[in-house]
Amino acid sequence: MEGAGAVDPVTLEVVRNALVAYADEMAAVLCKTAYNLMIYEVRDYCVGLVDPEGGIIAQNTGGLPIFLADLGVAIQDGVRRHSRDGFRPGDVLIMNYPYVCGQHLNNVVIYTPCFHEGELVAFPAVRAHWLDIGGTRIGFGSNESTEIYQEGLQFRSLKLYREGVVNTDLLQMIRDNIRFPDSSLGDLRAQLAACRLGERRLAELFGRYGRETVRACIRTIWDQSEALARQAMARLPDGVYEAESFMDNDGMDLGRPVRIHVRVEIAGDEMTVDFSGVDGQVRGSINCGESGAVAAARVAFKCVTLPDAPVDEGGFRPLRVVVPRGRFLNALPPAAMGQWSIPLPTVIDTILRALAPAMPDRVPAGHKGDMSGYALYGVEARSGERFVCMNIMGGGWGGRPHEDGESAAVSVCQGDVRNVPVELQEMTYPILVEAHRLRQDSGGPGRFRGGLGVELWVRCLQPMLLNVNVERTRCPPWGLWGGRPGAVNAVLLRESGQPEARPMGKLTRFPLKAGDVIGFLTAGGGGYGPPIERAPEQVRLDAIRGYLSQDCAREEYGVVLAPDTLEIDQEATAALRATRRHPDPA
Amino acid sequence: MKVGVDIGGTFTDLVALTEDGEVRLGKAPSTPEDLTAGIREALREAKVELSRVDWLLHGSTIAINTVLERRGARTALLTTEGFRDVYEIGRGNRPEAYQLFFKRPAPLVPREWRLEVPERLNSRGEVLRPLDEPAARAALARLRAGGIESVAVCFLHSYANPIHEQVVGALLAESLPGVYVSLSHAILRECREYERTSTTVLNAYVGPVVECYLQRLQAMLAEEQFQGTFLIMQSNGGAMAPGVARRLPVAMMESGPVAGVIGAAELGRALGCANVIALDMGGTTAKASLIEAGAPRIATGYHIGGYAAGQPMLLPVVDIVEVGAGGGSLAWVDAAGGLKVGPVSAGASPGPACYGRGGSEATITDANLVLGRLHPEAFLGGLMPIDPEAAARAITARVGTRFGMTLPEAALGILRIADNHLALAVRAVSVERGRDPRDFALVAMGGAGPLHALAIARELHIPRVIIPPLPGHFSALGMLLAELRHDYVQTFLAPDLLEADVGALNAIFDRMAAEGRAQLEAEGVRKPEVRLGRWLDLRYRGQEATLPIPLDQEQVTPEGRLALRRRFDERHEQQYGHAAPGEPVEVVGLRLQARGSTGPRTFPETLTMGRRMPSAGARPVWFDAARPIECPVHWREALEPGAEVRGPAIIQEAASTTLLHPGDVAEVAAGGALVIKVGG
Repeated sequence: MEGAGAVDPVTLEVVRNALVAYADEMAAVLCKTAYNLMIYEVRDYCVGLVDPEGGIIAQNTGGLPIFLADLGVAIQDGVRRHSRDGFRPGDVLIMNYPYVCGQHLNNVVIYTPCFHEGELVAFPAVRAHWLDIGGTRIGFGSNESTEIYQEGLQFRSLKLYREGVVNTDLLQMIRDNIRFPDSSLGDLRAQLAACRLGERRLAELFGRYGRETVRACIRTIWDQSEALARQAMARLPDGVYEAESFMDNDGMDLGRPVRIHVRVEIAGDEMTVDFSGVDGQVRGSINCGESGAVAAARVAFKCVTLPDAPVDEGGFRPLRVVVPRGRFLNALPPAAMGQWSIPLPTVIDTILRALAPAMPDRVPAGHKGDMSGYALYGVEARSGERFVCMNIMGGGWGGRPHEDGESAAVSVCQGDVRNVPVELQEMTYPILVEAHRLRQDSGGPGRFRGGLGVELWVRCLQPMLLNVNVERTRCPPWGLWGGRPGAVNAVLLRESGQPEARPMGKLTRFPLKAGDVIGFLTAGGGGYGPPIERAPEQVRLDAIRGYLSQDCAREEYGVVLAPDTLEIDQEATAALRATRRHPDPA
Repeated sequence: MKVGVDIGGTFTDLVALTEDGEVRLGKAPSTPEDLTAGIREALREAKVELSRVDWLLHGSTIAINTVLERRGARTALLTTEGFRDVYEIGRGNRPEAYQLFFKRPAPLVPREWRLEVPERLNSRGEVLRPLDEPAARAALARLRAGGIESVAVCFLHSYANPIHEQVVGALLAESLPGVYVSLSHAILRECREYERTSTTVLNAYVGPVVECYLQRLQAMLAEEQFQGTFLIMQSNGGAMAPGVARRLPVAMMESGPVAGVIGAAELGRALGCANVIALDMGGTTAKASLIEAGAPRIATGYHIGGYAAGQPMLLPVVDIVEVGAGGGSLAWVDAAGGLKVGPVSAGASPGPACYGRGGSEATITDANLVLGRLHPEAFLGGLMPIDPEAAARAITARVGTRFGMTLPEAALGILRIADNHLALAVRAVSVERGRDPRDFALVAMGGAGPLHALAIARELHIPRVIIPPLPGHFSALGMLLAELRHDYVQTFLAPDLLEADVGALNAIFDRMAAEGRAQLEAEGVRKPEVRLGRWLDLRYRGQEATLPIPLDQEQVTPEGRLALRRRFDERHEQQYGHAAPGEPVEVVGLRLQARGSTGPRTFPETLTMGRRMPSAGARPVWFDAARPIECPVHWREALEPGAEVRGPAIIQEAASTTLLHPGDVAEVAAGGALVIKVGG
């Protein structure tokens, strides 16, 4: 963005507040009028005001954290394809091209050009997760695809409207090639309404303050965010920090783990995240594009620099991301990307783990590390209508330098994402939930315990299919500084008429019978500090509350409790703790 | 005589209105150890004898403070087997998305006191597993042994069929007499188990505290030979009898703040403006709310303690948007050199620099003072002299020097940012709800509201500003205008409105209407005076959010369904800018509101304060940084109805100051309100 001269601090503050308010207002319109739960409950959307060079002017607060300042690439690609002079008022573009956007095809961006006195000044843009985008499998929870062509329709900055006139052929083509056209085209209407609102608001702003002043404000906002981020970075000790973790598999080659290695370098007030050590692109669908890797690095960067500040382009200038082409975090055509987001919480957590020695008082132990979602779907026996029941579950977060980790919270990639109430699920879908509870003993032991995971047991009332992506079953949420890992994710199936539940892996289109019960168990967080340093009274309180069992109190914490009263057996506890050596720090 | 008493965190405010329109005011420090002492003091100050009072309306922070300070009853929760953790799991969300040390709302009932009872219904309310009574009794025995004072009961799908909660309620009454009981279906019949549980737990948690408080208050009333009707303000803007408040204390969470909104609605109505935006600006925050066709906009719940880490409460509440911009909000510079105003506040102590209590920070009040907008000797009726020199030093040091601005430039800059925050709050309740502020009048109240109202109105092109009489006491005054009011909600899913079973819908409306009538009659409202409003919560099939659409008759008829559907399309278009007339519309729930009178509640024709003030001359006021303009100062009490004041001017009164900018024209209406035409 070209700048003008300096801007007065008062106008700057007024413009800054207005820009964030506009993005939030657009998001509210989208959320209140969307047709699918991935938007209104899971908040799988983001709203941005983007300049013609692709810089994020403002982004809404409260969408998915992983959609961090990553709308710009979509706009840049559109401007390249249509040229800067190729847009007219009233145009509407549709974009989900995965090797630019970096994400699965369900994430559809709608954006519109905004003009001031005949000059293109910005694009309001809205990305939202459509329930279905065509392809061989319903929805998006498929582990079975190996090429993008199986995953649905690709739109590379196509003009859905030209100067206010809809391209009915394109619309009809979309309608005929996706499974829930009413829902997705309803979402499209909501996205478009939000963009139009953004155009109106921006036009008012430019009209009132003039192009040069608004541009100078945006430039100054970016400069100020950059300065704040640099100040935060400069406080960290220079050095090279590394960490590694792995995913169970790519969904196709079930025996082969997928390696995530990060190298983080802090030099002065800048940070480089180098993903050169991650595995090459995989046959399954957990690949993402470069933009996904950049967004993941940005989330970690933001968490340790300006967690509470509004999002804009300037705050990320001190961050450099290296990811060679052909790695699974920068996959090339025709790599499948249906499950693009699955590894990202682990990627972010691994960056944080690398940074732990640089900032031991600011980094918690490992969190649940996956997205914990499921999709139950089929044709409802009574009405004959298709249904998809989707839900997102929370899990444990890692122990912190000063307190226990939180239980039952969504991953670092998911922010204001809410689970679906059991009463709503049962009202709408042919299922009955048998239990929804915290998972005992799942929190990693530590001086500060990891938070607990969740158990949800669902009984099918008719035959249906299941997609679930249980991950991180072999690389548990790690402890830090002597803390122990949390329990790993699990999916259990208790078939109709059988007494025992058996563990399952990743499932796509898995058939369930009426009466089958499926259990979704989410991971607990890792512990922080050695568990035998936890006060015995605190261990006892956890036992009274049922957060941990007496066995766990004894085995992990060295605290012996009377079986009936849960009183602490002081002597036995002292004796047992004396036999435990402090484990080596992480 | 009608009396309103509003107990806030710092002060207990009292307004009494006599039959002949005389107003008496009382203000006393709140007395947390025994709140009745503050009320007695305020009564004494206003020279009001309770034996001569016909109506006493009361708002109090007792319920919300009990939650925020976590000093409620020792509470237990009974749930369906398998679901005791729903209350702790919540919705799993992390609104502070990049904060690694985020905190979830801490449960008010710890896990050891959340007990499960074998029982199960489905979403249609059919019994899948009968209640296991022996197991329920065993759970109750544990509660008794644990010294539990209050019990919340929330079973899955009890909104569809309350039978099991009712049985457990009877068992509780029998085996734990004296223990406070909250059954979820008796509080709200809406689906979403976490939010319903949280609302029920909140009710149980504050119940014994509020009960004790009301007992004390009623004992005091009896002692003082009060013979009139005593009513409590609710968050929905209506009033309720003390018996209802004891059963439903969770309804009085926002008891105080909503009264100002009700007052604004009634004042607007009296002045012929049915559409107004109320803006209440105090010392630390400002609150905006929208009133349309005479009725405040109602939200279906909110989070007590803030969205990120607060407790959800699902009962209807007046929709209020709050921003951290009050008289004490600080002007400060962030690490990157950005100039900020609020949300941090200097509070009451040390307070703004001009208070001379050791504060050296620049606040909004300081900026108003150095610009001549506040009078150093007339602040808070002259009770508290303020120091313009100290204000000037703080503004120069904190802002002026930093940005190379003169003192007026810096002070005007602070106010411009503050006014912008306030305008964003007003926008949030109007523009962002699909309403054009140009169609509304702005009613500004609170000590600081009248000082900023005209700037905000200019910013948003609002044509008319109304400053009520007694803007600093308007919450207590607003209470005098509240009606008795009860809300009922029932979840009911019908996938297509046009084919919905009208018999089933009407049966639910009839049940809610009977409940509402019985409630109001018990509160002394005569049958013909009961007024009922009915709404359907509608949405396009597949959406989540609903819009409440009012019925224009008492019953849903097969033909009426189409009209409702059309009205829904129109509202959707108005609210969100698009509609889908071809898509099926789904019924999600029914709402009924029952209202009854609380005696005379028209806004008083005349308000006489019994005081006369001389004209106060003139003083220089800065509107821009070039030079000040000499502004005449008028005492509000000296302005007769019909008087006209042209801006620039200052209208001074005991607890507030109104600033008219050049071009504004104020007229004193009957009753004393200032109706101001906003200049260009």
